[in-house]
Amino acid sequence: MTAPSSTLPAGAFPLGGLTTDASFPAFFRYRALPGDRVLLTNLEGNFLVLAADEFRAFASGQVDPGSELYARLRDGNFLRAHFDTERAAEGLRRRKRFLGYGPNLHMLVVTLRCNETCVYCHASRAPMEATHTDMSRETAERCVDLALSSTSPGITLEFQGGEPLVNFDVVKHVIEYAREKNATIGKALEFTMVSNLAMMDEEKLAYLMAQRVQICTSIDGPQGLHDKQRKLPALKLASGEKTGGSAWEAAVHWIRRINEAYEQQGLDPTLYRVEALLTTTRDTLPLWKEVVDQYVDLGCRALFLRPIDPFGFAERTGPRLEYPRAEYLEFYRRAVDYMIELNLQGVQVLERYAAIFLTKILRGEDPNFLDIRSPSGAGIGALAYNYDGGIFTCDEGRMLHETGDDTFLLGHVSDATYRGVVGHETVRALVLAGNLDARPDCVNCAYQPYCGVAPSHSHKTQGTIFGRMRESSVCAVHKGIQDYLFEKIADADPGVMEVFERWTTIRPREHFIQSVDP
Amino acid sequence: MGEVAGMPDAQVEAEVAEGRVTLVVDESVYPLDAVYGATYTFIDRCYVLLDRAAPTRLRISLTPKHDADADALRAYVGELQNELLSCAWRSQIVRENRAVIEAVTLRAVSGAMGPPSLDELEDFDFSEEPFEDPLGIGLSWEEKYKKKGAADGPSAAAAPAADGGEERDADDNRDETESA
Repeated sequence: MTAPSSTLPAGAFPLGGLTTDASFPAFFRYRALPGDRVLLTNLEGNFLVLAADEFRAFASGQVDPGSELYARLRDGNFLRAHFDTERAAEGLRRRKRFLGYGPNLHMLVVTLRCNETCVYCHASRAPMEATHTDMSRETAERCVDLALSSTSPGITLEFQGGEPLVNFDVVKHVIEYAREKNATIGKALEFTMVSNLAMMDEEKLAYLMAQRVQICTSIDGPQGLHDKQRKLPALKLASGEKTGGSAWEAAVHWIRRINEAYEQQGLDPTLYRVEALLTTTRDTLPLWKEVVDQYVDLGCRALFLRPIDPFGFAERTGPRLEYPRAEYLEFYRRAVDYMIELNLQGVQVLERYAAIFLTKILRGEDPNFLDIRSPSGAGIGALAYNYDGGIFTCDEGRMLHETGDDTFLLGHVSDATYRGVVGHETVRALVLAGNLDARPDCVNCAYQPYCGVAPSHSHKTQGTIFGRMRESSVCAVHKGIQDYLFEKIADADPGVMEVFERWTTIRPREHFIQSVDP
Repeated sequence: MGEVAGMPDAQVEAEVAEGRVTLVVDESVYPLDAVYGATYTFIDRCYVLLDRAAPTRLRISLTPKHDADADALRAYVGELQNELLSCAWRSQIVRENRAVIEAVTLRAVSGAMGPPSLDELEDFDFSEEPFEDPLGIGLSWEEKYKKKGAADGPSAAAAPAADGGEERDADDNRDETESA
């Protein structure tokens, strides 16, 4: 047996001296893992971890038909002589179920105005006096009309900004208009609001709770880090009351209050919690433990370790916020190792990236996360509506518009038709560009059945929607995370696998579905 | 003209003072569609010119729109080289995977669009032919190449139009068909 050479790039396997037998294996892709192990994946996304000598026997067709290895290969549909076409087709069909219907996520930027100033603001927020960036009621209604025209049986209207609480009247109008209109359409309708929570009050909260609106926010970690990156000016209100000063204090106060309100409504506290998102900057990297502890302390059940994106203001501030992706992956490994450790002690908190990939790997299903699927969800899984009624394939496309790039603009709600939007030539181009079966590197990558890269990111960073994956920071992150996960899977520690299985358990939050009575 | 550090001087030349770099590529290695695809990704940053350096060699000239020193020119050439490889390989992959790519694209777009509404059907112009077929691709072999004097059938009017109004013997068309 030849050990993998340290001079080979990550994932490569030394094939020197190996005489392959193409008639023995069915179609497969492979990637070397540490510890002389090799990962095999196939068309339908089954996987096997082999020892290096087992891999050599497999590739050269030298596996004893009576052996345990032969049985594993046959059971995984890796053998040409036993290839089960029907099973492969069914597996693929299950993974690509999202192709059967149109956009389910509709993001409404109800205003660009925001009361906070974030160093990495992807949304290109506008100052509070920029009332011209508020969405009108008429525009909002046209957005809802288009969203409810989707062929998707489930529709999520997501309020974004800026800060959506700044234009709360339009948020309320959208909710009421959509509910009324949906009464005859009958979609499984959900509302989500992405807010920094600093402008929340009891009256708004009571309304959002009554209307069953899911609330998401941002927490960048402990107070010092969060307040350094997300500035909330201190204000003195006309009533004399002082407000603001610490974005963290405002967000934490309302996270706890909203979680309390869910419990007061009798909702399962293990399922109904405020969702919070992290944006990882250079300053976050050494604070992996503090970040996890912060989320656990807030009672969050999920933490999404998202790297910083190059959109919006982050394009300018990137040089002081960015970091090599190898350092991010080191941060990721430490943080998730720690989360697994906490889970083994009975604390239930999952990492969102891991949950997305593990659901695909272990369950053979796709959770339909729009940026990690093939083809990507741009235009066919999601649409973004700007405050002025501009329609975009994705929120990143809308962000690029704010900095002068209209590549992802599909039209305007005033005269667009649903079929015209989702059948737009830009959407078709993005479907082709977001298909990993058409992309160099991805076609040979063992992680292809589980992966995806948003064309908008490649367009922004490389000037092409097709992307060059070896130079893509998104590819580096996705590959690095899957390396980590498959190393854990290969180690097969029963406790870790139990945690991973739990992270892939999808528990629907039916309370938020408007068409179902609470 | 000068060399670009680390690049083969027979293929890459730089005119740093002029702020321009040229790259000569072999068409048998990089097909024309790959050259178009790769160079197009530079038009936001560079003025791009393609011309023929030799019968099977294409010359690509990149002139950055803003000042560019030798390092910047080298970075442009390096990025172009990588993008050329990416486009050439992608072109080959798309050819090899055409069936699955088309199936997925069709399913994705038709699944998202759904059937047309009654209003959209009302706007549809049914008076036009569903598609133009000047080469008679939609016709059967018998319809397209029927002998002179054969009985007129339902497709008799279509066949002459498809062949430019001239009826020909089937054998006369075989070479033309196979070479098309």
